[in-house]
Amino acid sequence: MALRSAARPAPKVMTAAEAVARFVRPGSVLGMGGQNIGRCPQALTFEIIRQRIGDLTVVGCNLSLGMDQLVGAGLVRRTASGSGNLERFGVTYCWRRGIEDGTLVHEDYSHLAMVSRFLAGEMGVPFMPTRSLLGSDMLADAPVLSWGARATGGAHDAAAAQRASPPKAVVVDNPWAPGEPVVLVPALQPDVSIVHVQRADPLGNVVIEGFATHEPEMLRASQTVIVSCEELVPTDAIRAAPERTTVPFLYVDAVVVAPFGAYPTSVYGYYDYDAAEVARYQEAARSGPAAVAAYLQEAVWDCATFDDYLARCAGPARLEALRAAMREVL
Amino acid sequence: MHEAAAQAPTPAFTRQELMVIEAARRLHDGQVVFVGTGLPLLATALAQRRHAPNIVMVIESGVIAPLVRPTPISVSDPKVMARAMRLGTLREVLGGLLQRGLIDVGFLGGAQIDRHANINSTQIGPPGALRRRLPGSGGANDMASHCRRLLVITHHEPRRFPERCDYVTSPGFLDGPGGRQRAGLPADFAVTVVTDLAVLEADPSTCTLRLTGLMPGVDVATVWAHTGFRPEVAPDLQEVAPPAADDLTVLREELDPQRVYLKADEPAAARR
Repeated sequence: MALRSAARPAPKVMTAAEAVARFVRPGSVLGMGGQNIGRCPQALTFEIIRQRIGDLTVVGCNLSLGMDQLVGAGLVRRTASGSGNLERFGVTYCWRRGIEDGTLVHEDYSHLAMVSRFLAGEMGVPFMPTRSLLGSDMLADAPVLSWGARATGGAHDAAAAQRASPPKAVVVDNPWAPGEPVVLVPALQPDVSIVHVQRADPLGNVVIEGFATHEPEMLRASQTVIVSCEELVPTDAIRAAPERTTVPFLYVDAVVVAPFGAYPTSVYGYYDYDAAEVARYQEAARSGPAAVAAYLQEAVWDCATFDDYLARCAGPARLEALRAAMREVL
Repeated sequence: MHEAAAQAPTPAFTRQELMVIEAARRLHDGQVVFVGTGLPLLATALAQRRHAPNIVMVIESGVIAPLVRPTPISVSDPKVMARAMRLGTLREVLGGLLQRGLIDVGFLGGAQIDRHANINSTQIGPPGALRRRLPGSGGANDMASHCRRLLVITHHEPRRFPERCDYVTSPGFLDGPGGRQRAGLPADFAVTVVTDLAVLEADPSTCTLRLTGLMPGVDVATVWAHTGFRPEVAPDLQEVAPPAADDLTVLREELDPQRVYLKADEPAAARR
């Protein structure tokens, strides 16, 4: 936390409130970092909720706590992911309710299919092939295009139809092995992605430690990227060990210094997850919209900043215990 | 045979404990295992500490070859990253190892699985008539699509074993013999399901799950009563061997001392 005062003024370093106001717009396609109870970008998610920026499409591989809170705040119209859950802590209840009552539209992919979509976005190509999804009901509505159909002109009509209502995947013949189907999934370039990482410098060079899930592909695919970090480090530290840079500054638009910015999820090397606080939210989410609204009122809308939430709902002793728990694991 | 087995062996154990131990026995030293969250993490950690010290665990968040610390509750729990050989990305493990064909066994938990070993983790109710939304595929579809061997561990209740899944999230044998080839999936595929009542394995000729093992004290009629379809019984039906005392000790005292997983009546929602 001492590093915050050491932060030099730089164009990309800003508060969560500034970064979110500047880069997250109503209707944005929002890429979510983190997975389950690991490194979820909670400080940035809470700021989106605080500013009530809605009509979002939330995308990622596993969507968990932050996505469910955005849904619970009424800010999400669509999701696309490989899963929505918190494993031992149960399902993402607001998300489940939204899908079941029809207020939320969800597109199902596998985790590999989603990261393949981000990879296509990162590479600047329109789609990526995969051999996942074949035979599953995730492909139930996917058009099957064969080269034969293209030759007869049938595919032209199919292509026109697809532009009107883009399919979530297409099955084609492998051109080098006719008769062997392969699934094409469309490139995904989020309007803005949010991620919480261990370290960044004022230019936006990002160092992710521990597992990185889908984040490297997603960040490089995104139109804009907001990074929150445990520690702001000088650019000299990046230059001293450039092989550790997970994503270079070229992709990053905003750097928010937010110690404990993933709380109550864990940050590898820094702190463990807080099971009690995850369970407290899950209890609210499970019981229904009124309890979720009360939780968000206390944790977000009654707090001016994420630090206020940490002081109110966690406190220094608990945060220090989570640091000690991480040291114990490693 | 079953009456004799009903006498409690020593040491005493629960069927859930034996389920984990039996699943661990199905993993062999040196195998590269893609491990799903929940009971698979526990069973693979047991195998690693007992008979398969050189097992290579791969976890979808990007973890390769960890020495898992007790008791991990998630694929993103820092405890699954302990002393790994690499902490990488989802793409490199789901793409570069799994889809690439470098995984020996995929190990899944907590699923609904049908007669043809198709798995549903997406929804109850057919497409267009949703009754209950479930978490979705995660990496399960990728595992079922690309692993030559799939190991599934799940509690045995009728709703988890329907005749036909409402929604096929992860392909087993689809509609039966030739189903995988018709869909463009590798035909070379084997499935073993370990439950708290029995062991079921896919019959290569019919591509249906059949009963190949019974937990001590359980008879065929009990398994049928808890299965939404009627699995055939293999001619060489075996009784699952009771646990070795050391297996129980490691499981109870080292791997799950807080009883995070090993509960007598675990709520279904918590397993997902």
